[in-house]
Amino acid sequence: MDALTLVQLLLNAAALGAAYALVALGFVLVINATGAVNFAHGDLVMSGGFLSVALAGALPVPGIVLLPLVAALMAILGLALSAAAYLPLRSRPPVAVFISTIAVGVMLQNSANAIFGAAPRGGPPLAGDGALSLGGLTLDRQSAAMIAAAVVLLAATQILLTHTQIGKRMRATAQDPEMARALGVRTGRMIALTFALAAALAGAAGLLLGNRYFVTPAEGGSLMLKAYIAVVIGGWGRIGGAVIGALLIALFESVVAAFLSQPIAEAVLYAVLLIVLFVRPGGILGEVEGRRA
Amino acid sequence: MNRILRTATIAIALLAAAPLAASAENVRMPVLVPITGILALEGTSQRNGAVMALDEKPGGVEAGYDVTDTAASPETAVNALERALAQPNVVAVAASIFGPQMLAMMPIAAERKVPLVTISGTAKITEMGNAYVFRFFPTDAVVKVAQARYVVEELKKTRVALVYQTTAYGQSGQAHLMDNFKRLGAQIVFEEGLAPAVKDMAPVLAKLKAANPDVIVLQLHSGPTALFVKQAAASAANLPIVAGSAMHQPSTAALLEPAELKGVCAESGSSPISGGSPAMEKFTAAYRAKFNAEPDAFAVAQYDGTRMVLDAIGKGARSASKVRDALATGSYEGLAMTYKSDGTGNMAHDAVIVCYNGSSRVPTIVKRYAAR
Repeated sequence: MDALTLVQLLLNAAALGAAYALVALGFVLVINATGAVNFAHGDLVMSGGFLSVALAGALPVPGIVLLPLVAALMAILGLALSAAAYLPLRSRPPVAVFISTIAVGVMLQNSANAIFGAAPRGGPPLAGDGALSLGGLTLDRQSAAMIAAAVVLLAATQILLTHTQIGKRMRATAQDPEMARALGVRTGRMIALTFALAAALAGAAGLLLGNRYFVTPAEGGSLMLKAYIAVVIGGWGRIGGAVIGALLIALFESVVAAFLSQPIAEAVLYAVLLIVLFVRPGGILGEVEGRRA
Repeated sequence: MNRILRTATIAIALLAAAPLAASAENVRMPVLVPITGILALEGTSQRNGAVMALDEKPGGVEAGYDVTDTAASPETAVNALERALAQPNVVAVAASIFGPQMLAMMPIAAERKVPLVTISGTAKITEMGNAYVFRFFPTDAVVKVAQARYVVEELKKTRVALVYQTTAYGQSGQAHLMDNFKRLGAQIVFEEGLAPAVKDMAPVLAKLKAANPDVIVLQLHSGPTALFVKQAAASAANLPIVAGSAMHQPSTAALLEPAELKGVCAESGSSPISGGSPAMEKFTAAYRAKFNAEPDAFAVAQYDGTRMVLDAIGKGARSASKVRDALATGSYEGLAMTYKSDGTGNMAHDAVIVCYNGSSRVPTIVKRYAAR
């Protein structure tokens, strides 16, 4: 394999990893806020993909224009998810939330199937078709836009969490809910907002993935699994770790698979996961204490 | 006077038809197919084909039906079959395209002596000596022969890159294709299995090009087929692609630009949107009007199978055993082909190759392979 092909594959991995990073980021935010796993997270990504398909049919504008709208509508869905599947069960054992989010995921999947049908659908392009060529390398506009949009969203999330009052309250709730409550933070509201933010990020990821990789009602499960692996590899509860884990998964899918066969590359990824768990049980960046349910 | 005569004639005709209609109305053909889950796309086509035939009531022959979603588990399918057979006068069942569900339902059908009319591609269902299974979609033993023959005999390609799914569907096709290419003297210069969740096809395309093939042969599900074709077009692979039946599905072609489809062919049992006969064109128009969707070969196959059951009922087979006998021994001129059991329940023995010309998403049938 020549160097040009390798660089090309790395560019593909960056585009795919950027979208996976958004998926994993939303997933880890909910883990931090609640200590529980949101098993509907992959289906939220799928829902965002189908929402972008529906909006693109009604509004013939580029995906980049639809992105804020998709994120906003998905945030409302996230609020509904927290109200229906988390907040009423927050005092129950974590398994109750596992089951309730699994149920919501199945409902989302079946709803998408009933509304849009079972066939794969292509989402709107973010910024038109075509490709950018540079010295023999080809980066299609969609991939370039995916990377750019994901970087902006990741940075915006980081700024929201670290430089705004509401973000600081969300983090305070995630770090020590009892102390936050004692200091007057309305933790229930912060958790609901965290669900909204996670769903907005999931919706954005759905839009980013939908054009290049299509969207089907049944794909939530595999996306959920990738987010879970990313978080375990990167560090349970670590936002930066989730992003690292997501990029690593994309690297295996796009680059390692070019040297090994795809099934072997997948097996090696799981072997790496086991090694990480054995050598560094908390993940690459270490586990945030008290986050595992 | 004329009016009285016409009224009398209609009355006599209705009276004459009444006994047949009344007895036929009592029979039932439940539709048990996966409308959700991993085979929802194909299962929906199957449901539509069966429902269309049953709603048409050809020749006034009517069979009552309920549609039950068997989803993705054998247990759900078995429960659905048990419930369906609890109803009286079930003469046949339109049964799931999903092989594991068929394998679970078959012993019950044999015990209750009710024929299952299916389009499942799982080879095993007609290899188990079960006399109550009838498959109306050509098996890999038929369509993979057509796919390999088209590559070697028509395209004159002999260096094959084979990419298949790591599912039962993909592995069955891969085994048949390997055998057929070997028999035809072609060389497999590259092969790789892909999980259905794989999104980036660039790695496999990079390795494939390094093997210097002169044709790409695919055995992938719908979404992965579209992903592969799209990314192959973007990478300027410039190799002809002869895909599995997923590529003939209008929902797969809808994911691609016509230009991306240039040089892409596919095997299938039929291609209703390609036309070919007035009856097929009439079916396609009626299907679009009824379901607001494009029909595929799965819909046609289940439609033909259901019509064969209704034909048997119309000819007097009003019990499950008589319908079974009619399916096992008779032949039926359907929309896609003539159906006749090979003694094991395989009813479909023809295949077609369709190709896209790069300017449309409607393929043209370029070759028919009839049973030899």
